[in-house]
Amino acid sequence: MRLRKIMPFFCMAVLLLSCWKPYGEYDNSTYGNKVWGYKPVYATEAVAKKVSYTPGARQVISGGNIYAFQNYIFQIDPGLGIHVIDNHQPSAAHRIGFINAKGCSQISIKEDKLYTNSYDDLVVLDFSDLNNVKEYSRLKGVFTEYRYGSPIAQPPTSGYYECPHYDSLVVGWVKDSIYQACYKN
Amino acid sequence: MRKLFSIYAMAIAVLFFSCEKSSDRAAASGTGVGGSLAKFTIIGNYIYAVSSHYLYTVDIANPAKPVSVGQSVLNYDMETIYPYKNRLFIGSKTGIYIYSIDTPSAPKLIGEAKHGRSCDPVVANDTVSYSTLKGNSYCGPATSGLYVYDVKDLNNPSLKKTIPINEPIGLGMTGEALYVCCANEGLKVFSIKNAYNPIEIKTITGANFTDIIPYHDILICWTDKDISLYDISNPLQPVFIKTIAG
Repeated sequence: MRLRKIMPFFCMAVLLLSCWKPYGEYDNSTYGNKVWGYKPVYATEAVAKKVSYTPGARQVISGGNIYAFQNYIFQIDPGLGIHVIDNHQPSAAHRIGFINAKGCSQISIKEDKLYTNSYDDLVVLDFSDLNNVKEYSRLKGVFTEYRYGSPIAQPPTSGYYECPHYDSLVVGWVKDSIYQACYKN
Repeated sequence: MRKLFSIYAMAIAVLFFSCEKSSDRAAASGTGVGGSLAKFTIIGNYIYAVSSHYLYTVDIANPAKPVSVGQSVLNYDMETIYPYKNRLFIGSKTGIYIYSIDTPSAPKLIGEAKHGRSCDPVVANDTVSYSTLKGNSYCGPATSGLYVYDVKDLNNPSLKKTIPINEPIGLGMTGEALYVCCANEGLKVFSIKNAYNPIEIKTITGANFTDIIPYHDILICWTDKDISLYDISNPLQPVFIKTIAG
């Protein structure tokens, strides 16, 4: 008898439960029509934040902050890495390498250490030997706001895109049929 | 022995003094120079970094083990950081904020110049600061242009002059020249012999200028996906050297 009285409330509670969504789980499908747009590509933290150096010129995807140190010029390719230019003789200045650092946006140099960020990590590179540039140390998660404010957290061009899940790191974007949930101006 | 020690001490002091002099704006103790749009800068043993709402301070005395020593929460919509001696000039969407780093591990706000909402990188020296305000729809309603402030009294910067410019972005200065990037409209060169009254000398066109670094006799320019170099042995008359294509 008592159970019968409680039952409707119980059912209602179960129904209401279906309305609840965990914070951060953005359901892209609630946003209207499907369109052709960008979809995020994710990677694990370890893969996304791996930093390495590749000698030789690399095509610039989009120009970013510039930095001068001794006879070198550096330019950020937002979200992707850092172009290195040899400027010993300005009239013959040329590209010599690229630091692969996903989620990067900033650079500063002191002595033979280059400081940059990969998402929210501070990454220190030893570039005393240009043939052997390598990670020297790292301070994880220090720049909290750079994690999701990373240039790669949004697609490269304007238009609709699938809103990324913020528990993962975005390492790139591919074109796909998506719900028109997020928009980049 | 004591005498010898004091001679050493003096020699070291002189060495440091020479560092200080040659390097008001960087190159001190082997650091490089960033553009006016940078959010990272190193002074001494510290990295200072800004994001929209934070000023981060990281101790890098031992580069093998950087240590976070501060994360100040600030609601300024901060965009850029420019180091000058023992000061940080922070450009934000609501104004310029001047921090003292006399205690390097704990930057302290000592002055501010508020303006209408807009984007604004800033460059400065002992007496003057220049900032560009971009009053487009994204950045806010303030009037676009070059804003000149007297910063002799850091606690109370005063606006000296405003020069309207359509879409100014990054900027940089040497002793007598001020360079202002104006995207597709080119690079404007101002004489700042009278610091509070910049006189426009010329506009260099032909590229999309976003930011620049005057570095010794070379002007390094971020021009879209390329880097362009100009000879500024004569600071008011930059001479094109080359473009390093992206």
